[in-house]
Amino acid sequence: MSEPASSSHIKPVTLIGGYLGAGKTTLINRLLNQPELPSGTAVLVNDFGDINVDESLIRSESNNGNVIGLSNGCICCSISDDLSQALDQLNTLPITQVILETSGVAEPARVWQHCHYPGFLPKAAVVVVDAVNFEQRSKDKYVGALVKAQIAQADMLVLSKTELNPHFQLNNLTPQLTSRDTKLIETILGWQRAGAHAALASETTKLPRFSAQTWYQEEAVSQRDIDTALRALDASVQRVKGWVETDAGVLQVDKVGANVAIKRLEQDAKPNILGLVFIFYVDQNSRTQGNPLTDWEWTKTAS
Amino acid sequence: MPITCLPRAIKEHAVLTLFKARSVITMNTAMPRASAVLVRDGMILEVGEPEQMQPWLEGQEYKVDEQFADKVICPGFIDPHLHPSMAAVLLPMEFITAMRWKLPWGDIDPVTTADGFDLRMQALHASKEANEPLFIWGYHQLWHGSMDKARIKQVSDERPIIVWHRSFHELYMNDAAMSMAGIDPAQIKPGMQIDIEQGHFFELGLGFAINRLNPWILAPEKYAEGLQRLKQVVHHGGHTSIGDLATGLFNFDTEAQALAEQLEGDDVPFRTRLVVHGTRLTQGGRKPEEGPAMAEALLSHNTHRLSFARHIKLFSDGAFFSQLAQMQEPGYIDGHHGEWLAAPEELERHIRAYWQAGYQIHVHVTGDLGLELTLDILQKMQDEKPRFNHGFTFEHFGFSTPEQIRRIKALGAQVSANVYYLHELSDSYAKSGIGYERASQMARLGSCLKAGINTTIHSDFTMAPAEPLNSMWVAVTRQNHAGNVMCPEERLSQQQALEAITINAAHTIGLADITGSLRAGKRADFTVLDQDPLTCEPDALRDINIAATVFEGNVFPIE
Repeated sequence: MSEPASSSHIKPVTLIGGYLGAGKTTLINRLLNQPELPSGTAVLVNDFGDINVDESLIRSESNNGNVIGLSNGCICCSISDDLSQALDQLNTLPITQVILETSGVAEPARVWQHCHYPGFLPKAAVVVVDAVNFEQRSKDKYVGALVKAQIAQADMLVLSKTELNPHFQLNNLTPQLTSRDTKLIETILGWQRAGAHAALASETTKLPRFSAQTWYQEEAVSQRDIDTALRALDASVQRVKGWVETDAGVLQVDKVGANVAIKRLEQDAKPNILGLVFIFYVDQNSRTQGNPLTDWEWTKTAS
Repeated sequence: MPITCLPRAIKEHAVLTLFKARSVITMNTAMPRASAVLVRDGMILEVGEPEQMQPWLEGQEYKVDEQFADKVICPGFIDPHLHPSMAAVLLPMEFITAMRWKLPWGDIDPVTTADGFDLRMQALHASKEANEPLFIWGYHQLWHGSMDKARIKQVSDERPIIVWHRSFHELYMNDAAMSMAGIDPAQIKPGMQIDIEQGHFFELGLGFAINRLNPWILAPEKYAEGLQRLKQVVHHGGHTSIGDLATGLFNFDTEAQALAEQLEGDDVPFRTRLVVHGTRLTQGGRKPEEGPAMAEALLSHNTHRLSFARHIKLFSDGAFFSQLAQMQEPGYIDGHHGEWLAAPEELERHIRAYWQAGYQIHVHVTGDLGLELTLDILQKMQDEKPRFNHGFTFEHFGFSTPEQIRRIKALGAQVSANVYYLHELSDSYAKSGIGYERASQMARLGSCLKAGINTTIHSDFTMAPAEPLNSMWVAVTRQNHAGNVMCPEERLSQQQALEAITINAAHTIGLADITGSLRAGKRADFTVLDQDPLTCEPDALRDINIAATVFEGNVFPIE
């Protein structure tokens, strides 16, 4: 097999995981039909079965039928049970990044290892969680352990079907977005696991970058302080979510853009983890030099 | 799918042949033993005593064939589950294995030490033409010590040498092999599933290596050579029928064409029941519900020896050899979990599509949780659309519980087990897998027979040797490679084990109307043995010499 010149570039791979029916395909369809999907993005799916690309976007189909070229310069490619062959095929094409839909029964950590492949490196593991069925699935005797492992291994969770179950909560501090977040696609594309391979840094500067930081609370703070601090956050912070213990009890914090929603939890509903997770846009030119949370350090100092 | 239909050899005069034997074991309970079989044009006219066959012979041209007069004729052996296409990849390689393999081109003596492995590598190297790549299969660290590039290099630096792990899930190669395959070490970075210093390729790194070794292992002429070797292996093992239990495993069209070219024709001493890989069939955007119609269309390609039927293969949980079987509590000792090969809902959807269409469904199940899931689905199917005689088969059947045996019986299902797991793996799985109690009870076959479940045993070749007498020996003795008898309560009698590799196997792959026992009206398929497998010492079973097979009346001697 000949190795084309393009393979010397390391292509970052973003995994989209989650159990069958969680909403991966809906998310992939949304990605594929996004006119702003950066040119050179390869979307690898398990099967074209439920993939739905607007016909006006389709430019070409390959001879063996497993690659669809899109007019925005992207491709959609089916894996057909052999990821190594799909990746080797991508190595012959001019692509810049990969979105990889994992099988519904795959553990993201295992696929993450697979993405350490010549020409590729894993960048982030996004896991889609179904707000309607998660509760039941996590207790299922056959797949309970699997869906819990999928969530534990995620860098970012995307909650789907929240409109059908608006009160659904996942009690952890992994960054969470919902499928209704306006910046969802940008965030997914720009996401990078903290400490992801250094070789990716130079490759991904052209792409927008999102990141997250988690603050684990150690001492109670006053409600007024937390409220002020949340409102004073830099505009590059897209979302804040979590639970904070204050003089006014345990508060559930949910900040989307400029809107801050704070709810006091009942005494017996105290979560077993306290802290906040911040999702922010990394702007290399901003005064905070990429980290808008430098001001948040006051709480850390206070504790 | 172009399958050429080759005409059967037409016999101008249907001369009757009277095969005489020391004993004929019929596997027909109404007449368990006889001394002769009368055959015309591949069909059995009568089984019994020669003097009672006179009415057939009067006025007919016939010959008496006494070449088996001091032998024992059994119904032709059947392996209801193996993989010709996987075997075709493996068989051109050289074997260095910790277990004994009897192959037509020579017995492979067990090699159970690191030094022994190196000596054998050197001998193979010395036996090959200069620069011909050397592919070796069967390495296992448990016996052969740790492998690396430097160790291979001691054998040769010039010859490309590839050492494949027994599990097939990893390989090692030297620099010569890497440059042959066009693998550039500079491309390989730390963290990849390739250890370039050691020449070690695993998981997706193995895929990377295979994609580059394909010209040597999957080239059409190599593949054809592999299938020719498979043909010899199947004959040598004494089979007259086999089941390809996942046609389309690699690529449906390529496989179908190669099988038609290599496993059809007058020189092929066996028939193959092709059972298509269900999820591969509808891969590429087809709905599972379209599967039965697609499978139905394959029936028109049937030839004399190669035939599809209304059978489908589906998969539940992961590989037994990799400890990826899904286990019920208390699971594996180290706490890891097995894997699902498809989401339970997807498996159910596929099963439903074929159940509703009246298919016989074969499901790969390895762990007791995989079995439990599949039983739950079968229960649902029976509730939705009750079926009798549906032949739903649990394939491999690694771990099970006594309670599950009752459910299998109650739901009318059957079992096709890889009993060899017990021989090769029960010792190590007892120590570093699931503990002695459950490891010793893998392949719970005695209970299946006791419950009246149609039960057969298979090799899943190349997971186990394609030697029915060896499988029979394991089922009867339950002796593992360490020499320990594991759960004697689950042993089969010799009679039960012979049923398992003949009539029960025929039922499992839908061939019982034409083969699997010897009676008037069935095809004249025999396996001819030097010793009687029902009365010999159990320990002698696996060493019984197979003198010949007879396929549809034609004798195929085994040297």
